[in-house]
Amino acid sequence: MAYDTDIQISICGSAGDGTIAVGDIFKRAMAHIGYRVIAFDQYPAEIRGFGKCIARTRVATSRVYSMKGYSDVLVSLNDLHAIPHVGEVRNYGALIYDSAPMSAVAEGAHISGHLKPGHIPYALPMREVSELATGANRSRNFVALGFVAGLYQLPQDAFHHAIAAKFESKAAAVTKSALAAFDSGFEAGAASYQFDDVRIDAPRGRKSTHEARMMTGNGAIVQGCLDAGIETFFGYPITPATGIMEHLAVEMPRHGGRLVQTEDEIAAISAAIGAGYAGSRAATATSGPGLSLMTEMMGLGVMAEVPVVIFVSQRGGPSTGLPTKTEQSDLNLAVWGGHGDARRIVLAPTNVEGCRRCAGRAFEIAEQFQVPVIVLVDLYLSNRYETVFLQDENEFLPKNWKPATTPGAGYRRYELTTDGVSPRCIPGEAGGIHTATGLEHDEYGNPSDNSGTHSLMTQKRHEKLQAAIKHPGINFTKRFGDSGKVEVGLLTWGSSFGEALEAMLLAQQEGIRCAAMKVVMLSPFPVRSVLRFYKDCQQILVPELNYTGQFAKLLTSEIALPVTRISHATGAPLDVANLVEAIRRAARKHRRRHNAA
Amino acid sequence: MIPQQPVYLEDKVDEIRQSGRLDYRSQALPTWCPGCGYYSVTEGLANALNDLQIEKENTVVVSGIGCASRFPFFMDTYGFHTLHGRALPVATGIKVANEKLTVVAIGGDGDGFAIGGGHIPHAARRNVDITYILFDNGIYGLTKGQVSPTSAIGFKTSTSPFENRDAPLNPLLMLLSYGASWVGQTYAGWPHHLAGLVQQALEHPGFSYLHVLSPCVTFDKTDRTYQNLDLTVRELDSDHDSSDLALAMQAASDTRSPALGLYYTSQRETLGQALDQVALRAGAGG
Ligand SMILES: Cc1ncc(C[n+]2csc(CCOP(=O)(O)OP(=O)(O)O)c2C)c(N)n1
Ligand code: SF4
Repeated sequence: MAYDTDIQISICGSAGDGTIAVGDIFKRAMAHIGYRVIAFDQYPAEIRGFGKCIARTRVATSRVYSMKGYSDVLVSLNDLHAIPHVGEVRNYGALIYDSAPMSAVAEGAHISGHLKPGHIPYALPMREVSELATGANRSRNFVALGFVAGLYQLPQDAFHHAIAAKFESKAAAVTKSALAAFDSGFEAGAASYQFDDVRIDAPRGRKSTHEARMMTGNGAIVQGCLDAGIETFFGYPITPATGIMEHLAVEMPRHGGRLVQTEDEIAAISAAIGAGYAGSRAATATSGPGLSLMTEMMGLGVMAEVPVVIFVSQRGGPSTGLPTKTEQSDLNLAVWGGHGDARRIVLAPTNVEGCRRCAGRAFEIAEQFQVPVIVLVDLYLSNRYETVFLQDENEFLPKNWKPATTPGAGYRRYELTTDGVSPRCIPGEAGGIHTATGLEHDEYGNPSDNSGTHSLMTQKRHEKLQAAIKHPGINFTKRFGDSGKVEVGLLTWGSSFGEALEAMLLAQQEGIRCAAMKVVMLSPFPVRSVLRFYKDCQQILVPELNYTGQFAKLLTSEIALPVTRISHATGAPLDVANLVEAIRRAARKHRRRHNAA
Repeated sequence: MIPQQPVYLEDKVDEIRQSGRLDYRSQALPTWCPGCGYYSVTEGLANALNDLQIEKENTVVVSGIGCASRFPFFMDTYGFHTLHGRALPVATGIKVANEKLTVVAIGGDGDGFAIGGGHIPHAARRNVDITYILFDNGIYGLTKGQVSPTSAIGFKTSTSPFENRDAPLNPLLMLLSYGASWVGQTYAGWPHHLAGLVQQALEHPGFSYLHVLSPCVTFDKTDRTYQNLDLTVRELDSDHDSSDLALAMQAASDTRSPALGLYYTSQRETLGQALDQVALRAGAGG
């Protein structure tokens, strides 16, 4: 019988146990074997000490869109940290733990005392196996990894490969002991009885012609920047956006790009706008606190019509908030933040591949419409891994800022044209001399407080953006699920769309007619396609990761129709099971009303 | 001083036209008050660019917000009139994007040392190859006369009606300690001196900081006036050694009788050169 593999394995330990490291090897090996993988690690907020680390990996034979709300397998490298997570293991799920921990444990401190009836326990003397295999107890993590691979009969060489790749730059002895520990664990796993409740069957079907790569959202943003030929980057470190700058710092100088770490976010956006004004493909990256500081300068970008790309990865707020937890609460700031009527373009990808596409297209759009473009993601999307199949690296259009008319005498930098886009010249071009300014100005760029000029220019700056909704090579909205009229429609954005789609698929299996739409372009808002979707749905649910329903409010302000908000601000991604329940409830309500009528 | 020979206006106008420096001036008439010290710079910078044969399309004048920052509109070069306090980071971005450009940042004392104070040390320590001309009138001109971080103690303004009690900054000492590789001071009342130093500042490879003492004739009738400055300024000692940082700092400490001239100059790697080195180490093109 064809069996669809879809299991989630969580490895839990304390900082120093090598939890994230073996999680990383696991997901890379599984991607290499040909599974679709999606993974999200949780780190402790503190740098030092023994905080909790969890590496969660979902492995499936067909495409999956989010993490599951539960785990099929939990591996404990540290019982104190793992005990609170026993409850997330499903009925008949497996728990793998150390049967012979380092020291005597207090009553209730061993995980075996916390298993639920129906959990399948695998007690493995990890420390002893590690000592026997390597002469030290430090390789418990590899013993556990080997056990998982052996138990579920996964190809050993894929893991050997991934381990060797991980320690490529380390001393040979490191790889050797990791492999030895892995192999001993593998042997133990292969010798253990595998209950059929958790199975990992071989991937089916053709392998993609493109190489599968494991990539995070931040990694994909970097790839998009490089594929689009980024030239300059200015940034200031902040979680969870730092990874973008760190990765670009390695890659850009190799590709003729220049990167400077500035003194703060105001300087970062200022320099990026300076570089954009000078004709360079320029970007910066930050999170909510940095975006707050950037708003005044973004307004200058809008007013002086300068292309620049701003990557924003949201975390919990307000203020310093929850630096290591996810949230979607900077939508208001990204779309509306700052003074004056300063509309810019905001793109919010929903998955890792989308991060690359939006990053690359953002440069094109910024140049074409001469405006700052924000690419808005969140910690969950920045840090989660997905298997991606990279397409053509030359898909993005090269830089194209050439003026539509020949500059020279009487050149008008801010000429009022039919589409609102004026001929742009950059320093170095004779005949294009002008002064860009944040003051309201006439077509030549000369300051003007004439009321007619102000209304014409304001209109120009807004109207020129409407055409961005038709920019090729990117879906600014996309509908999934049942076509035509449906009982329940889910409408959401950003990382939350994955959970919404999973919930929709489950609800469909229960016989509920439903559909889901993602909205990738938040500003300007794709009113028409969203309205069309709205009209097809009896009920509209808007799930998102914030308290005030920022996307729902944007939606209702754009389409002036009511929606049901599902706002959730715990710092964690949405729970798929809760969403399914909300869909059921909405469908019941609809059916009751339908029957009564 | 009474000239020996009479100077005729037409001759002077002809001479200016022929010099080519008017090419660098825009059609816009400066919006400054008659007598404002800022007029000196339009002339000074146009002269220097002309003498150095720098093409105007390869010149970008970047400013913040303030009376002084209105300057780019009066030049026929590329210009960017940015935000209050942000001329330096914008100028840095422009230079990083295109090293071929001559980038000049201009602003007032409030723009530079109050709201923009956080950017100066970093432009200086990175040795961005730009010239920063800061007009210090000890007051906020554009917003009509408030106290500034370089206002003297005892100075009365609309926001210090009972006299300023905050000690003024010493910009020259700050720039010297920030690592600026070229630091000079001039006075708007000495336009020839100013023009000479602007030219030297432009020629310096690296970050050059030119401090210009400049009266605000409208909002300061008592303190930094032409009369007072004419009496107190002097030239740097003729034996001043501009390669000696300690000596430069000593000279900068004398605020009672401000000395004009080149305080300090040195040569070191610019930001552009540093970024080229980074590219080499990263194995660019490989
Ligand atoms: C963020 C911000 N805050 C305040 C202002 C108002 N403002 C404009 S110019 C200025 C001070 C100008 O003083 P200075 O920089 O010394 O230049 P001056 O006018 O004397 O040449 C202020 C406070 C502003 N434009 N932006
Ligand atoms: S207010 Fe002062 S600084 Fe401003 S233009 Fe007039 S004199 Fe110059």
